[in-house]
Amino acid sequence: MGLASSGVTYYGGCDVGSTTGKAVILNRDGIAATAVIPSEIDPAETAEKVLNEALKGIDGLRDIRDLAYLIGTGYGRNEVPFANENISEISCHAMGTHYCDPDIRTIIDIGGQDVKAVSIDEHGAVLEFVMNDKCAAGTGRFLEMMSRIFRMDLDAFSELSLKAGKKIAITSQCSVFAETEVISLLSKRKPPEEIAAGIQASVAKRSFTLLKKVGIQPAVAATGGCAKNKGLIAALTAYLRQDIKPLPVDPQLVGALGAAVSAQRKA
Amino acid sequence: MKPSLIGDLAVYGKYSLVNWMKIIILVVRHGPFDVIRDIRRYPWILVLLQVNSLMWRFIRGRTGRYREATAVVMSDIVSSVIRMMEDVFFRGNRLVIHEDMVPPEIMRAMGLAPFMTELMGILMPMIKPHSVENYIDASENEGIPPDICSLPKSTMGLALKGHLPPALAVVTSNLPCDGGMSSYMLIEKKLKLPVFRLDIPYNFDTDRAVKYFAGELRRMIDWLEAHTPGRMDWERLREICEERNKMLEYELELWDMIRIRPAPLAGEPVWLSHMWNFNVTPGSPASTRIYKRITEMGRKNLEEGVSSIKDERYRALLWNPPMIHFIDIYNWAEKTYGISLIMDSMTFNRIPMIDTGTQDSMLEGLGRTIMAGPMARHTRGPAKNYLDDIFHIHKHFDIDMVWVAGHIGCKNTQALNGMLRELCRRESIPLLIINYDLSDPRIVSREGIIEQIDHFMENIMKAEKMAS
Repeated sequence: MGLASSGVTYYGGCDVGSTTGKAVILNRDGIAATAVIPSEIDPAETAEKVLNEALKGIDGLRDIRDLAYLIGTGYGRNEVPFANENISEISCHAMGTHYCDPDIRTIIDIGGQDVKAVSIDEHGAVLEFVMNDKCAAGTGRFLEMMSRIFRMDLDAFSELSLKAGKKIAITSQCSVFAETEVISLLSKRKPPEEIAAGIQASVAKRSFTLLKKVGIQPAVAATGGCAKNKGLIAALTAYLRQDIKPLPVDPQLVGALGAAVSAQRKA
Repeated sequence: MKPSLIGDLAVYGKYSLVNWMKIIILVVRHGPFDVIRDIRRYPWILVLLQVNSLMWRFIRGRTGRYREATAVVMSDIVSSVIRMMEDVFFRGNRLVIHEDMVPPEIMRAMGLAPFMTELMGILMPMIKPHSVENYIDASENEGIPPDICSLPKSTMGLALKGHLPPALAVVTSNLPCDGGMSSYMLIEKKLKLPVFRLDIPYNFDTDRAVKYFAGELRRMIDWLEAHTPGRMDWERLREICEERNKMLEYELELWDMIRIRPAPLAGEPVWLSHMWNFNVTPGSPASTRIYKRITEMGRKNLEEGVSSIKDERYRALLWNPPMIHFIDIYNWAEKTYGISLIMDSMTFNRIPMIDTGTQDSMLEGLGRTIMAGPMARHTRGPAKNYLDDIFHIHKHFDIDMVWVAGHIGCKNTQALNGMLRELCRRESIPLLIINYDLSDPRIVSREGIIEQIDHFMENIMKAEKMAS
């Protein structure tokens, strides 16, 4: 148990989020395989599917049980089959970010249904965190809703926002009212790119408020699926007045990576 | 004394039975049909009659003297709630509605029956977590902004629904917050009763302020004598103040004991006993007796090296009013993480003894208890009062972490919490600010509070849950 038929030891991290399931498999040389899938209703099913998807990328590793140590994280962390333990996604994002870049001290994790600001020490341990999991405005779900109004996918929406010379402020605090506000602005023939930039700024401002609570120490990194949204990162950078350091891995995978790194250390 | 299962069961059985007997006697004395009539008129009576249900939630899992001390406090509260209902049932001709920042000692010395309206908004969610929601909704439906604190909204809801008992007069103050203060404008309009407002000085820490407030209390006494049959009995007030002093002496001894790690007592014997006896029934001999018993139990535990909880892993300070709709949070924290909640902002005070030498010195002493009391001292500024007390408690009681009950309706503390966050970071003190609403579990549920604590304990404290 714990060895693939090739004789290599593999460690797994599985992040079952509200929107996507992510898996990272590590060996002593680093990341061996990754996978991202849309979340199923059943978190256990998401975990099993995404782990099996990642296993496909490794010759000689066919079963989840062949992983030497597996850690579950994310909202469905208790449901990851065959997991040796589960760890909070806050600690996993901290560990994953630290693994990627030990200089990072502040993280903003913008996920599908929540946002977390985390400050970490030089060892990747969490010093302080704040989260918003009560309000949809400021999360990935909000951006999805907004991009649907524009009849675009998120990538195209992000590109659109980057084209704006100026932005139109979205003043509604609630995602439902913001949707009404955006529809109203579009019907008034306001420039779509300026509205899109305003939407990105509204999410960025909420993230910035959370970051201020934990104290913004450089370097700052963004994780979670929304960190791939270039328009959002540009808007957040403007509020921060400092660069957000890009990570060498897909930011959406950082939680699962942190779980895998923890698995490797605990095995 | 080694705790035993039979002994622990006997403690629950004995105190629970006695409490139910007290409640049954009240019902019989008032007459079951009259009680039913009054419940229809004042539905909160039905909630209050279930006060003994708190007993199990508080003592569950506790053993030995800690269990008994908790039961003693709970039994005291049952007696006190019954006295409060007796005042409503039998002493309506002496009933004066008052706000929580008005010293009830004076009204008791005048032979009046004080009825603290805020106590409903505190006690009811403690007993039944969702029981004040209809009052909160009633307030909002009448146009009270949703972001006002849910406690004054509950109080206003009681008035709007006509659920406040008939009274002679209302005495209120300009504390503790704008929401609380303005709620009495609505109550005044609704009840059409004479209202007296105490003017409590903003800068309270000067001799001039103390003398001014003592003058205000004298003005209140004159006003009450003019509007009620109550007459000031200064000798009675002296007895009440002396009794209060004795209680404070016991409390200070108890505080000395809980500085020691592990604490011989914690939780309700420390916080609930204070909240009730110093705010609702200060100066009553029964309150002093309760404190004497609790302190004796703590002393015995200390002498025998017995800890309140079996495995005290952490010591916490809870700042701001306790989570009243998750009132067994202390019990939960003990069992889940081995956390002793040692001290809280509503309990900690820097109030000196009351000098009972003269009428003026008593009024000045009572004035100090209000002006330097938790809600007044901490939420009006300067920020130093709020922050210094937290750091003093942290050091004095050897606290491992600070939990702030971040009541969403308390505007006074929002900015202070930002400053606290920065200072705790500088001092490397683990800080958890729990988002919740004081009286309304629809905003953040019990589960939502637990989730926040779990995140904190796992990520910051690196704590593991205790084996159940």
